[in-house]
Amino acid sequence: MAGTHAEVVIGAHDLQKHYGPLAAVDGVTFEVYRGEVFGLLGPNGAGKTTTVEMLEGLRMPDGGTLEVLGIDVAAHPDDLKERIGVTLQTAELYPKLTVVEVLDLFRSFYRRSLPTEELIDFLDLGERRNGRTKELSGGQRQRLAVALALVNDPEVIFLDEPTTGLDPAARRSLWDLIEKLKGQGKTILLTTHYMEEAEVLCDRLAIMDHGKLIEMGTISEVVSRRFKERAVQFDRVEGLDDARLAAMTAVSSVKHDDGEVLLYTSDVPATISDLLAATEELKVEAHNLTVRRATLEDVFLVLTGRALRD
Amino acid sequence: MRALLSLTVANIKSFVRDRQALFWTLAFPLIFIFLFGAIFSGGSSKTKIGFADADGSAASIALQQVFASVPVVDLTQGTEDEMLAKFQHGDVSGVVVVAKGYGAAVAAADAGTGPPASVTIYTDPSQSSTANIVKGLVSGVLAQANLGSKPQSIVPVLADLKTQDLNAVSYLVPSILGMSIMQLGIFSAIPLVGDRQKLILKRLSATPLRRWQLIGSNIIMRLLLGLAQTSIIVGIGALVFNVKITGNLFAVAGLSMLGAVAFISLGYVVASFAKTEESANGMVSAIQFPLMFLSGTFFPIDVMPSALQGVARFLPLTYLSDAMRQVMVNGAAYAPLAVCVAVLAGWSVVCFGISARFFKWQ
Repeated sequence: MAGTHAEVVIGAHDLQKHYGPLAAVDGVTFEVYRGEVFGLLGPNGAGKTTTVEMLEGLRMPDGGTLEVLGIDVAAHPDDLKERIGVTLQTAELYPKLTVVEVLDLFRSFYRRSLPTEELIDFLDLGERRNGRTKELSGGQRQRLAVALALVNDPEVIFLDEPTTGLDPAARRSLWDLIEKLKGQGKTILLTTHYMEEAEVLCDRLAIMDHGKLIEMGTISEVVSRRFKERAVQFDRVEGLDDARLAAMTAVSSVKHDDGEVLLYTSDVPATISDLLAATEELKVEAHNLTVRRATLEDVFLVLTGRALRD
Repeated sequence: MRALLSLTVANIKSFVRDRQALFWTLAFPLIFIFLFGAIFSGGSSKTKIGFADADGSAASIALQQVFASVPVVDLTQGTEDEMLAKFQHGDVSGVVVVAKGYGAAVAAADAGTGPPASVTIYTDPSQSSTANIVKGLVSGVLAQANLGSKPQSIVPVLADLKTQDLNAVSYLVPSILGMSIMQLGIFSAIPLVGDRQKLILKRLSATPLRRWQLIGSNIIMRLLLGLAQTSIIVGIGALVFNVKITGNLFAVAGLSMLGAVAFISLGYVVASFAKTEESANGMVSAIQFPLMFLSGTFFPIDVMPSALQGVARFLPLTYLSDAMRQVMVNGAAYAPLAVCVAVLAGWSVVCFGISARFFKWQ
């Protein structure tokens, strides 16, 4: 995907955005290629939304260069808006209008637009076509938000946390939709809180924290670059402190996540043997002991010190 | 153009489907008119006539008794000056003046040695239906007094006198129209702040829709609503309360539009400083109630304490309602019409300027 022939659709170089003394986005550089799904991950307040809104032409960067579809976004945001599709984190739009009415309204904003029927079919909103948008379920509302992002048949689609707050079934149906869009050759940039979502959808991703990109690449690149290790995971044990855990053989780092302890180790048998010796001595047991490969979630935890879902 | 039109239609649909908004905009002013109209009209269906007798002769007293005996006439007596003052204030609908020497003139006419004695009747031609009722009543009374005397010994002399002040309902209807336009305008702040809070403005900014189209569609929608309000209030005023609309309806509509623009601009100032829909609501209330009560909506400004009169001088609604009364019912001018128009136009320019400087889209 990141091959030499790939066409750069989004190119950000040393992007800066400051709010007073706070650097919301601090020297962000990345490229997104045509036809890929690119994920921007990070905890709340990392600067993801600010970055995306600069890409969308909604906020002007304070520094750096930014080109989307070959358009200098800061100079010609209106040209860009004809050719991109956007969803925001909240999707509450015109509660008193029907699905068809809102779609027709948005179609009127663009020089070129897809037929309303095609959008309704594509997003499976047929049975709710004449229902007011406030009566839609969370999943339907999000599908409508995506439909509104598609009215101008955009080349690039920005989805800001598209599945936050959806139930698992609705989330899965939206994933299918994003896969379908990818199949049509659309370039998609999405932000997400969900590791699994990034793992299912993203060709490449970047992890952001405190306004900076701290990791970027395909999922396997990112995981393997950070982790030759595996994770030994068990429920927290009273009396075993971090210093003692960190001193065990081959342990490179100790993390806590939701009542569980994670030991990242390059030698699983040695670490487990130390752990068992320690629990024996304390006359306790390490419950739910498991060993697994490091995942994106582990990378995130190590890089930002927080679980992504927090 | 297509975007502007679609957005205007979408705004109107949203508004019309919002029962509550519809009620406050269209029905609420009518409730005000009915309520205050009922309070102020006093429930009397009699025609109030002032009777000034400068003669005090047997003949003039007889004439007064004939008037007093008519069941539909509510007769008030006093000097000519007193009666004309009451007339000016709308307390009586017409004044009958019997001049000094009336008794002698009647006697001479009856004896065939002089011309018929005259009685002067003041009515306001701008209130033509009331004027006609008064004239009709007076003619009837005089005909009764003339009964049996040939040729007629008393003839009415009609005098036109334009009253400065209006009866309560005629005063109220244009004022309520001004008040409704004020509310329609300032309330534009609330959905605007709500749309910003719910990120709708941001979502629209991500489309090629221009900001002037967004603002333009909001203003057009409010102006159309203003026209609907104007038609309803003027219609109900004329048909139900018999308010005589003396002015040009296009001028009334034009004034409504100017007033709507002035108060929409004030709404945008509110939207520039309110961060949430709740705070916008609070600010709108804090503005609209003083405006409502201090701008001469329910009673003329000159009956208020002088400190409050000083406040009224600076309120835009004072000028909108004043202009509305001048144009609609020929009401007494607080300020010349041109001044009212200039104040509203200037107000709009200043407020739009402030909003352009301080309004945040996100």
